[in-house]
Amino acid sequence: MKSLAERLGLVGYRNQSRSEIKPHIVVDTDICNSSCPHKCTTWVCPANCYTLDENQKVHFQVEDCIECGTCMYACDQGAVDWNYPDPEIGRGVNWNFG
Amino acid sequence: MEDERFDAIVIGGGVAGLSAAMTLARANMKFLLVERGEFAGAKNVSGGVLWGSDLAKLVPQYWEEEDGGWERFVNHRRLSLMDAQSAFTLDFKSSHWNEPPYTGVVVLRARFDNWLAGKVQEAIDASDYAEESFIATDIKVDQVIMEGGRAVGIKTGDEEFHAKVVIIAEGVNNLLTRQVGLQTEYVPADHMLTGIKEIIRFDQQRLEDRFQLRGRSGMSNEFVGWATDGVEGGGFLYTNKDTLSVGLVLSIADLRAQKKSPHDILSHFKTHPVVADAIEGGEVVEYSAHVVSSGDKRAMPREVYADGVLIVGEAANLLLNAGKAIQGMDYAMRSGILAAETVVEAKASGDFSLGKLADYRKKLDASYIMKDINGFQDAVHVLHDPIMQHKVPNILCDFGRSFFSIDNQPTAKSKDMILDAVRRHSSLWEMAKFGFKAGRSL
Repeated sequence: MKSLAERLGLVGYRNQSRSEIKPHIVVDTDICNSSCPHKCTTWVCPANCYTLDENQKVHFQVEDCIECGTCMYACDQGAVDWNYPDPEIGRGVNWNFG
Repeated sequence: MEDERFDAIVIGGGVAGLSAAMTLARANMKFLLVERGEFAGAKNVSGGVLWGSDLAKLVPQYWEEEDGGWERFVNHRRLSLMDAQSAFTLDFKSSHWNEPPYTGVVVLRARFDNWLAGKVQEAIDASDYAEESFIATDIKVDQVIMEGGRAVGIKTGDEEFHAKVVIIAEGVNNLLTRQVGLQTEYVPADHMLTGIKEIIRFDQQRLEDRFQLRGRSGMSNEFVGWATDGVEGGGFLYTNKDTLSVGLVLSIADLRAQKKSPHDILSHFKTHPVVADAIEGGEVVEYSAHVVSSGDKRAMPREVYADGVLIVGEAANLLLNAGKAIQGMDYAMRSGILAAETVVEAKASGDFSLGKLADYRKKLDASYIMKDINGFQDAVHVLHDPIMQHKVPNILCDFGRSFFSIDNQPTAKSKDMILDAVRRHSSLWEMAKFGFKAGRSL
């Protein structure tokens, strides 16, 4: 069985050669780490963009995001500002099969 | 002075947007279709079977093309109810479905949408506006421009484009539908699911032998029960040309409540003996995920049109899974066609008013889309009921094991086997109530 990292390794992303990208999702992790009762994005995200550190703090990275939208619905705390990536300076997917 | 505006701007090059565009091009409308991906389909994911025969209306005789954008036509359907070891399967295969127009075709969206966009371009080239209608990729719409409460165009970066009508075909993550006020700013997880899948590649001959496929024939298999590891949802397996689409749709609210990860459940699903045998020897070549709505009407926008705006496809959450099939792409296709027809009629009458655009709602209500969505809401609830999700598959698999096991002992009557299986997982009263409800809902 492939690991999630191996699975994500099969995904084609846009603008991979750019050193800096504009994140299409902005997460207010202050909300996650102060008042959120569940921190559910750390397990519902199919690309594991949300992780917990050893102090149980939520961190977010947009690089692996496959634009599925799950976190936008799962987060009921108003911490996730979800948008579509910019074609020129964003990341996001480029499916081969879809 | 000649009107410089487009008759319509279509936002999104998925099935809904392209179907609208094809209809507009054929009717000699001047339009702009914008797609944020590098090509139409680049951002799109589905299970996916495109059910019904509307594709033949958009691309007549599409099956005659040697290398059309679809994978296989479906002539073999399976619905499997699973426990940990077994699958009790309803299996129907018929040569009745061998002839075009097919009852359904399996598609991979990066290929299919791109192919369909090529067909739309051909229709544009043959129209009166060959030089003035466009499909433009790599364009993300920042906002729908409103003037006096009416949508008049789109803004992308520093550029603006104006049109008499804006058709929003942006998909389930309908940010612009929310922006124009037809959907709440935050859409709760309750009726939304995450679709997750792998594309698994085989030698084509091996795939065809394994699933008894001939020529372009294909198989669709849905799964209920153990597949989802206790989370509300279901599984699927579809045959493509030389790959399989294997995946799940999982309730986001339930994933959240049960603290489970969709990718773990996908791995779990693939270990089931029936699934493991089906995918053995294949190579995973893509992993993907996308949100999909459940078909529960409570997830729909409050209206599918506004002044200057028509919402089509999954942007309007037009989708239904009432246990027979997951219908989304065919709804996208038909709603796109109906929206475009509304625009064509509006232009003919010179009336693009809100009242005229309301015709789209009437067409949608009169079509099979809203008739089925309205008529099968109970079935949607039955399918998502924990009894259907967990108890029924366990009962059937227990019964199947008793019924099909031959062990040189006196054999119980089938009725007693059923009662025994029911009592082990439920009660006669519960099953009688549920059976009555389920029977009526279908």
